[in-house]
Amino acid sequence: MVLSYWVRTVSVTGLCVSLLGAAELSKPTFESDILPIFEVNCVVCHGEGSPQQGLDLRTAATLVKGGNSGPAIHAGSAAQSLLVQKLVAGTMPPGDKKLTDEQVNLIRHWIDAGAGETATAADAPTVTELDVLPIIQASCFACHGKRKQEGGLDLRTQADRLRGGVSGPALVPGKPEDSLLIRRTAAGEMPPLKRILESSVKSPTESQLETLRQWIAAGCPPAPDPPPESVAVTEADSNFWAFQPPQRPATPKVKHHEMVRNPIDAFLLRKLAQKGLRYSAEARLSELLRRVYLGLTGMPPSVAEREAFLADERPDAYEQLVDRLLASPEYGERWARHWLDLAGYSDSRGVGFQDKIRPFAWRFRDYVIRSFNSDKPYDQFLTEQIAGDELSDYKKQEATQQLVDRVAATGFLRTTPDSTYEPEFAYLAERMNVVADTVQVLGSSVMGLTIGCARCHDHKYDPIPQRDYYRFSAILQTAFDPYDWRTPDERRVDLALDSERDEVSEFNKPIEVEVEKIETLLEKLAKPFREELIEKRFAALPEDLRKDLRALIATPEDERTAVQKYLAKNFDDLVEVSIEDLIAKSPDFKDTAGPLQGQLAKAKEKLKPRPYVRALTDTGGEPSTHYLLRRGEALSPVEEVEPDVPTVLRVGLQPYRVMPPWPGADTSGRRLALARWLTQPNHPLTSRVMVNQLWMRHFGRGLVVSPSNFGRSGTPPSHPALLDWLATEFVESGWSLKHMHRLMVTSTAYRQASRKDPAAAAIDPRNTLLSRMPLRRMDAEQLYDSILKATGQLNRKRFGPPEPVEVKESKEVVAKGTESGFRRSLYVLQRRTTRVSLMDAYDLPHMTPNCLERHESTVATQALHLMNSEQMWDHARYLAGRILDEVGPDPKRQVEHLFLRLFSRAPGESEMERSLETLEELAEHWPERLTEDRVNAPIGWTSHWLALGGLCHTMLNSAEFMFID
Amino acid sequence: MQPKTQPTRRDFFARITDGLHGTALACLLGRDLYSPECAAAATEAPEVYDLSAKPAHFDPKAKAVIQLFMNGGPSQVDLFDPKPALSKYAGTTPTRDLVTDVLFSKATGGILPSPFQFAKHGQSGTELCELLPHMAERVDDIAVIRSMYSEHINHEPALFLIHTGRLTPNRPTLGAWVAYGLGAENQNLPAYVVLDDPKGLPINGIQNWQSAWLPPVYQGTRFRSEGAPVLNLEPRPEWPSPVLEAQRKLLRWMDEVHRSKRPDEPNLDARISSYELAARMQLEATDALDLSHESEQTRQMYGLDDEQTHSYGKRCLMARRLVERGVRFVQIYIESQIWDNHSELDKGLRYCCGKTDKPTAALLQDLKQRGLLDSTLIVWGGEFGRLPIAQVTGDLSKAGRDHGPSGFSSWMAGGGVKGGITYGATDELGHKAVEGRVSAHDYHATILHLLGMNFRDLTFHRHGLDERLTDQFPARVVSEILT
Repeated sequence: MVLSYWVRTVSVTGLCVSLLGAAELSKPTFESDILPIFEVNCVVCHGEGSPQQGLDLRTAATLVKGGNSGPAIHAGSAAQSLLVQKLVAGTMPPGDKKLTDEQVNLIRHWIDAGAGETATAADAPTVTELDVLPIIQASCFACHGKRKQEGGLDLRTQADRLRGGVSGPALVPGKPEDSLLIRRTAAGEMPPLKRILESSVKSPTESQLETLRQWIAAGCPPAPDPPPESVAVTEADSNFWAFQPPQRPATPKVKHHEMVRNPIDAFLLRKLAQKGLRYSAEARLSELLRRVYLGLTGMPPSVAEREAFLADERPDAYEQLVDRLLASPEYGERWARHWLDLAGYSDSRGVGFQDKIRPFAWRFRDYVIRSFNSDKPYDQFLTEQIAGDELSDYKKQEATQQLVDRVAATGFLRTTPDSTYEPEFAYLAERMNVVADTVQVLGSSVMGLTIGCARCHDHKYDPIPQRDYYRFSAILQTAFDPYDWRTPDERRVDLALDSERDEVSEFNKPIEVEVEKIETLLEKLAKPFREELIEKRFAALPEDLRKDLRALIATPEDERTAVQKYLAKNFDDLVEVSIEDLIAKSPDFKDTAGPLQGQLAKAKEKLKPRPYVRALTDTGGEPSTHYLLRRGEALSPVEEVEPDVPTVLRVGLQPYRVMPPWPGADTSGRRLALARWLTQPNHPLTSRVMVNQLWMRHFGRGLVVSPSNFGRSGTPPSHPALLDWLATEFVESGWSLKHMHRLMVTSTAYRQASRKDPAAAAIDPRNTLLSRMPLRRMDAEQLYDSILKATGQLNRKRFGPPEPVEVKESKEVVAKGTESGFRRSLYVLQRRTTRVSLMDAYDLPHMTPNCLERHESTVATQALHLMNSEQMWDHARYLAGRILDEVGPDPKRQVEHLFLRLFSRAPGESEMERSLETLEELAEHWPERLTEDRVNAPIGWTSHWLALGGLCHTMLNSAEFMFID
Repeated sequence: MQPKTQPTRRDFFARITDGLHGTALACLLGRDLYSPECAAAATEAPEVYDLSAKPAHFDPKAKAVIQLFMNGGPSQVDLFDPKPALSKYAGTTPTRDLVTDVLFSKATGGILPSPFQFAKHGQSGTELCELLPHMAERVDDIAVIRSMYSEHINHEPALFLIHTGRLTPNRPTLGAWVAYGLGAENQNLPAYVVLDDPKGLPINGIQNWQSAWLPPVYQGTRFRSEGAPVLNLEPRPEWPSPVLEAQRKLLRWMDEVHRSKRPDEPNLDARISSYELAARMQLEATDALDLSHESEQTRQMYGLDDEQTHSYGKRCLMARRLVERGVRFVQIYIESQIWDNHSELDKGLRYCCGKTDKPTAALLQDLKQRGLLDSTLIVWGGEFGRLPIAQVTGDLSKAGRDHGPSGFSSWMAGGGVKGGITYGATDELGHKAVEGRVSAHDYHATILHLLGMNFRDLTFHRHGLDERLTDQFPARVVSEILT
């Protein structure tokens, strides 16, 4: 039937037009032509019960009504019908079985032909408040919303609109042409064309205006009741392992109990035994030492540190070492880096051509380092980052380090790219993207949930309905309110220790004096030019107005009358002349003032910025309504939602309950309630997700290998019992991260050698069961920091504004460096557009908006970088110099020292032999070049130094340096 | 832990849609849906990413792409999309819908006719403006798309959209996807090369060729058109060659010793052999950009002898040499955003076309002569077009045009594209694309298709989702312009 219809249509397309009667006959009908296709392909999901996305495809009427994404068909236009778009794009039906082209064309034809009269007549949609709300939000809220009610008019609720402002009610239900809203918009007076850019609003289009008219004509019908929850989250959904609280399992008894140093080993050995496997032998001491140093501090041990460890004859020398490392400041720096990955930290905006610097982002970075070093309990660490501003009344209290830290901690929710600095990038959609990215960071890093998937539709795999997504993002609404937006600059909190402020003002004082001096001078010079330019501009104006404007200019701003203020606002183009304008317009002035202007800019550059805190704080007052958005589109609100946590996670937990943090607080407490809810001891995800992160970074792969996805489409844990034991141990230890590190790195598992055993590899190719430690390449920061430490170029200065980078002529990006060497990678400016080339080559991740796990690649450009970059040669020569200083001229001792420094081991016999040979060979080849170049240094000594430099360079390039056994 | 439950319907679809087909089905049939092996097959990434050549999904028409990116937003009604109605309505006030697209609202002027003459060219009769005399000779090779549209009125988001499919930063670009999907034919050169203008980076800078969450190995590599093309390509100039040789020899020996004690470690092996690759890249990349072996005739054809066309011509010629050597995706940018003609439209467009028309036509002709055009796809275009109304700040004679996202023109040529056609249409004024509308996603789907890839199947698993270039947006291959 279907096929024969199609053949007929194709063959007589031309005829159909002329022979209307024939065409009428062959018009497809829903029941006989369309429904059969749906029944075979679609109705299994979009049918009875709780149809997916609320879409039921069994009748033409329900097709028109549509689902969560809006109407499925647009009668008369297949191209505009979502159903057809999905079919053509191949996103529906999911899986391999697609509709045939004939079937799709048949559906298209049916829709284009009007989709049958029943369908069109069935649900002719009336215009309701839901249809006009997005228009009003996008065009009017900026000046008639929460923060501003210009002309006394607030347009947020129907009551507000009827009440109106000083000019009367905005609406007259039933009478569109009498409604001020329509009249002023139609006349092009509102929104004022002149101000749409600065307020980031859009003028309604002709068709939007028509929608507004229809709504008022129909008597302003309110929004219809929201459809029922399309996906009911059932108890069975909550039974999924990751949504159940972790239960502490008993530690298993295993045969090789001599290998059990702590319960981690018991769990691992049990699984290994089941496959007939066991642990490998322990790693060599030098390998273990290097592994644990790189793991906990991000850098290899120095020669002295190695010696101290080897000289320690106590039976628990290794455990003592682990304690020392955990207590060292380098531990916090290394592990802060891991956390900053999860948070998506960056020192720049991540948008805009200039990718401008975020001058105070580093305070969050420092907060994280301090928290790791003080072993701040993880529940407290999370609470401060999610709601540090709601823990105490920071606006009224005296600034202490703790208070500053708590507010800076909320920088966690301010890491994502944010374009809203500039009004042309601050439209509703862009504001909402900032919120969505932040939800993504929270969901993926802390909860291990791909909650972001439910922004546009119900989650395809996990029981997270779209409504739950918006409930969750509503928690941020009182801080990130798209309808009452704060630009990033407005979000800065003016909070700092007195000592910090004093330091800045002390530093700035002389510069400010200089700045003022130059400004006064400039103004004096500018006066005649400015008057001349203004008079030129006035030439076309009537004399009366000219007089008024002249009077206006002569009156200081705070003494102006209401009329003058009005004039100032309307004639700002004419009256205001900045120094820049003058320079652009008057060549004479440019000649006189140009150099002075340059001086001024230079002086201003020297000024240190006032120490603000980059934070996310509650905007206070009555919260704006938060909407579920159809398909995640800013201008498609569907229904109001209240803040809450995902339904599937409510079982067995204290509910999410919002309370004012303290009596009379002007902060909603929404985020604090989230923090309290997340840090309940039996929360199914919080502890599991974090211990999995720790495990992944120590053992090379997570127990759950999809660290951002503990849901159904993620990977189930390889060792469920171990994961739960670790999770409960974490909570019972008082959420101590250092305790968990200690357990992991002192386990027998961690001390194994990394050599591959072919028999074990045949049984467990990915080493999931950990019958050895994996061999790993250093990550970008380990490599960068290790080179600095090993070569003696490391400047250990901690905290504070980042070290700047420079782009060399070759386009290579390097840290500028300080007088005493280079700071750790963590302290180098993390700017999205100027990534340090060395780290960029070695897979430094892009924060998109954050990074849950790193990828590793191998390409030739990496080798090119280490072999040929100027900086590597500088580092190698510097190292050679230090070795000469420390061990003197004996080549044997030099080689030995170099091996200890870079590989944490002494050279073998043949290695010593080859190295000495090479050293000699290199030393032979330098004198000629040095003589040619007429260097003013002793040729012989220099040759030896450069030869040793060459040896250092070679070793820094070796696989042994870069890989961790 | 929780008892194993029967898979629900949602589970079933969760499993069959995540792209593991055979394995998944085997697992499903075995009722072992949640076994680690089964799930690992679905989500686990390879251990290391490289640029080795990978098979396309089906027989490709094009093996390589050269993208001539025209940042700033070339004005369609002054180049490829003549609109006589503009003269008819000259100076009249624009409609409300048109005004909605205005960015600089203070400077909104009336309808502005094109200052340039259009004429039909070639056998196809494709219409071009007078500023493109060289392209006029090549119109029978190109398919002009007059119905492109963007979704944002400003550069940054529109650039992200045309390059990555989303208005926001942080998604991989088209070139990164292609490098990921197909790798490179020649391991001694990068898969994805960017030739940016020495006079200045485009808006969004290096984010125009980012890999975002695709592994960094797939991001575009900038080749400089002066000096050594790749960063750190040459050995330290101060090293005498025996020094270099001795160091390399020792390194090889040490790495070999290290490797022999750690057999069967692919990452380690790859890393060690990357040093050999690096040495070969040094030779090949230098050679690829060395134009001294090109004939005088070729150099003239690209306009290397003329100051106006030299810079762009040089990069077009380099692009041909790179494609010849197996580079997959070459992107050429033009100084900052010269097509952003907010004022002095006449002067601005003369400058842009003067710089690019001859080299672009030469590239087409050269590829064709060498038989490479059939396997090389050339795409030309910007992030949006311009409005048919004037943007005026004072003097009307110095008027320009504001950004026009609702409709604009671009063209494709070569590998699998029909020559001598125009596709789609804008409205009477050239403001909005109305016929055969082509979104950024359609554009991407079409380019992938020509490279033998189905946009639905080129996926990267991330956060539980098989991500793709066109995301979940509707996309279609613009089959009307294909051979």
